[in-house]
Amino acid sequence: MICRGFVVLEREMNSSFPRAIRSTISPSSLVFKRPKPPFFAALSRSISVSSMPTSPNPQIPLFLRPPKFSSTLSDLQKWQEWAKSIALSVGSKFVDIDNGPDTILLCRELKWLLEDAVEDKSTVPELGSAKNGRLVRLKADIEELYVLWKQRIEERRPFQYIVGCEHWRDLILSVQEGVLIPRPETELIVDLVGEVVLENKGLGDGIWADLGTGSGAIAIGIGRILGSGGKVIATDLSPVAASVAAYNVERYELQDKVEIRQGSWFEPLDDVKGALVGLVSNPPYIPSHLILGLQAEVGKHEPRLALDGGENGMDDLLHLCKGAALMLKPGGFFAFETNGEKQCEFLADFLTNKLETSFHNVKVVYDFAGIQRFVTGFHN
Amino acid sequence: MAQTLLKWVGTSSRLFGSFKPALHTHGLQVQVPFQRQIKAFTLSDRGGGGAGGYSGRDFLALSDEQLMGQCEMDTFKASGPGGQHRNKRESAVRLKHVPTGIVAQAVEDRSQHKNRASALARLRTLLALKVRNKLNLDEYRPPLELLQILPAKSTMRTSDCGPQIGPNNPKFVLGMQALLDLIFAVDGSISDAAKYLGLSTGALSRLILSDDSLRMAVNELRSSKGMRPLT
Repeated sequence: MICRGFVVLEREMNSSFPRAIRSTISPSSLVFKRPKPPFFAALSRSISVSSMPTSPNPQIPLFLRPPKFSSTLSDLQKWQEWAKSIALSVGSKFVDIDNGPDTILLCRELKWLLEDAVEDKSTVPELGSAKNGRLVRLKADIEELYVLWKQRIEERRPFQYIVGCEHWRDLILSVQEGVLIPRPETELIVDLVGEVVLENKGLGDGIWADLGTGSGAIAIGIGRILGSGGKVIATDLSPVAASVAAYNVERYELQDKVEIRQGSWFEPLDDVKGALVGLVSNPPYIPSHLILGLQAEVGKHEPRLALDGGENGMDDLLHLCKGAALMLKPGGFFAFETNGEKQCEFLADFLTNKLETSFHNVKVVYDFAGIQRFVTGFHN
Repeated sequence: MAQTLLKWVGTSSRLFGSFKPALHTHGLQVQVPFQRQIKAFTLSDRGGGGAGGYSGRDFLALSDEQLMGQCEMDTFKASGPGGQHRNKRESAVRLKHVPTGIVAQAVEDRSQHKNRASALARLRTLLALKVRNKLNLDEYRPPLELLQILPAKSTMRTSDCGPQIGPNNPKFVLGMQALLDLIFAVDGSISDAAKYLGLSTGALSRLILSDDSLRMAVNELRSSKGMRPLT
């Protein structure tokens, strides 16, 4: 059933993928055999993904799974050669279609997949010369590795969903379909918070909120730099995201520091109205009309709920800016990620001049690629 | 050359460009955050020396944070919207050390964070390899960081030097820099350098050959002087 020799690439692979294989590829079905509760199926309706999470029980990232499978070194090498040949056949095809990954990047991902899948990473370099039947312990069945790599190439399933994690700052965060993969750009929000906490110790010992937390990345990053009195409340509308965030919080033993609440933006925060010392968010900010043209990994697999910011991309950002005045204590800090220059400048002007309760020290902060990415400031 | 001093007039405590509504009308001036722009620094001695007269030892003595403060960091891409639009694991990092112009980069790790740390470690090696401190050979005594990378049989070593530090130890770059300073001061002669270090020529050669970047730096110097490379 698993077509090892299958290297033909098609643009519409999602629709042409054999049904028999499709039914076996849900990563959750390989780990958890739970029926999908209708309640959550209804809640996750707006999430467009190819393999829908079947329950809010978070999946375990590949590298954390027990090594209960094994394969001979030479079979694993065969898989690697097959996977490499597919990656090579991609060339610059995806780059031309939608600025997707090229062969070099795919080969790097293949190496990372292998590192996550084997029990002992030191076997990876041995693969090149392996011609023996020695057994290697694996965290996934070798047949599953074939399926996973096919999904990567043919469906353009994001590498992070394949391995179930993303390396972000110094963290390794669990991610799965239905949860936005945290971006390198967003790492800076934690640095920005670190700076203001360093300058004003009071901020480090108060309550912070991370709205639309997704995998919990920002909340966990901040939770690790706050003082002993500090705390982060992280909210997300998606039950899948909330459960994945809770899983990640637990993995970093931050249950006392980071609290996950399921709900939309400020709704779960009634009890801390006007009491927050900090408010951060990476809300959906892509204008709706651009969603269709996104690279396949993003547009076809990541939750639209976490990407689509409405007509001009600022529906949620404006909601957050308006709410910030009500939620923040005087002197409280906020930092929001945006789509770029246009949104940054609009929001900075809006926050400085258009709101009754104004903010001070409103700034636009560039990301490492030189794009105006964040709006920050303080409540008066 | 007199002891070079890096005098910090002040490092910027504010990282971020403040919002100026008219900014976008004058070309994009990229103000990279976390770059801790150095407002000004003066160097007491700009004469001589391989890299404009700075003391490389001063750079290597800086903490990661301080060294990062002297660098411009970018992530190789400046086109496209980035952020939520992209999934390309573009975690590659390039650091440019502003005072010397030395560039170090790292692409192979999975997180930008780790790439930044790798690039910084690489920068330290490059600073050790490329920025020379002038020595006065008449009064030369090998500094502790150099003695620490020498094999135990060196007659200059004392018991407080501790065990020999190998190339995988982050402290090796400090000793490597001091060793290169000496080898440059004796114009590439391994036997002359060995005498200052209380070692046989063979033992010093083996030390130089134990690290690829050290070997290449020494051989580059030797070939520029018309000497045979160490192998």
